[in-house]
Amino acid sequence: MSEPQGSEGTTQRLPVIEKAAGTGGEYEAPPVPAAETDEARGSGRFWSARRVPAGIVALLLLVVAGAFLYDVAAVRAGRDALAWRRELADQLAERPLDDIWVLVGAGVAAVLGLWLILLAVTPGLRAVLPMRRPHTDVRAGLHRDAVAMVLRDRAMEVAGVQSARVRVRRVRADVRALSHFRELDDVRADLDATLAEAIRGLGVARPPALSVHVARPGRKG
Amino acid sequence: MRTVLRTVNRVLLGLVGLVLVLLGGSVLAVGLGASPPSWWIHDGEHDVLLSDAERTRWRDSGWWWPTVLAVLAVLVLLAAWWLTAVLRRRRLGEVLVDTGDGEGALLRGRALEGVLAGQAGELEGVAHAQAQLTGRSTAPEARVRLQLDPHVDPGTALHDFTEGALERARNSAGLAALPAEVRLNGVKHRAERVD
Repeated sequence: MSEPQGSEGTTQRLPVIEKAAGTGGEYEAPPVPAAETDEARGSGRFWSARRVPAGIVALLLLVVAGAFLYDVAAVRAGRDALAWRRELADQLAERPLDDIWVLVGAGVAAVLGLWLILLAVTPGLRAVLPMRRPHTDVRAGLHRDAVAMVLRDRAMEVAGVQSARVRVRRVRADVRALSHFRELDDVRADLDATLAEAIRGLGVARPPALSVHVARPGRKG
Repeated sequence: MRTVLRTVNRVLLGLVGLVLVLLGGSVLAVGLGASPPSWWIHDGEHDVLLSDAERTRWRDSGWWWPTVLAVLAVLVLLAAWWLTAVLRRRRLGEVLVDTGDGEGALLRGRALEGVLAGQAGELEGVAHAQAQLTGRSTAPEARVRLQLDPHVDPGTALHDFTEGALERARNSAGLAALPAEVRLNGVKHRAERVD
């Protein structure tokens, strides 16, 4: 992608430009032409904070380390070790590595570890599509469900469309429409035009590719 | 601030994952018959996970128990700090407003959040808006969630929000810049026939 970088220094001046532009077109200027000139930068991928897995791992770590700390300190202070720690030491010293439970436990640990690494390095938030920035200071993301609803509503406005189902993924939007009158090819052409315009109006940085299927509703009886 | 927490979360999750993969993977490999290098903790599939001799090897050294206790205490403190950092919702209490006469005024963060959310909610096409301020009091940042009405162009709605509510909030607080992260979602509704 050809994203003009390094506009951080211009952050201060931009509000002035915004005002100048704002006085010109007071009547709902369509965002598309402005966005295609110098503000065509996308919002960048949204990265999840991974709050939930982090909270769970932190809690488990706290409980396990806290239990060991408590018991080791208690033993140092002259008390007997708690039963669970003695049992754990015995089990660790008894079970050979090719014991089935040891293997299962190791497998689970390895899979869990891989999953945590995956969580750590992937952005997540796949349902949020980055939008074009309306302003250098503003990042915006549009939820895929909202895209699906917008496209469905627009598809329903086309003459001849009886119902429409839309599935939006990160790179492609699948529209399946049922048409009960008009030639299917005409409906498809209208749908193509309407939905292409709707996708442009989304303001998404990387518009999903459109695939349109039109069919007659299945006959009943 | 949120980016810091995000990085911390991801680094720590990655570390814990790495430890689990190394331990689990090595035990699995050795247990299934792979021959480990001579210096490895396990020396064959009939070895035990942790023998009594291994566990008590340094028990009589003077440094052993203090070290164990110190490591455990550090782990507990780290985990406790991490958990509170994750659970705490970091909100901005006050915004420093430059009044232009060399003095400053403090604006309550909640007030600015309320104004931003209220104005955003009044925009055409926005059904519901939520705003939250983060960052520092001299350089606040806004996190906004907009719920869009049916039959609204998200691009236009975002444009209106930036030019309208956000710009007004920035101006009214006298801020040079108010970076914002906006998430847009739609209000769920049924398809309706247009006739």
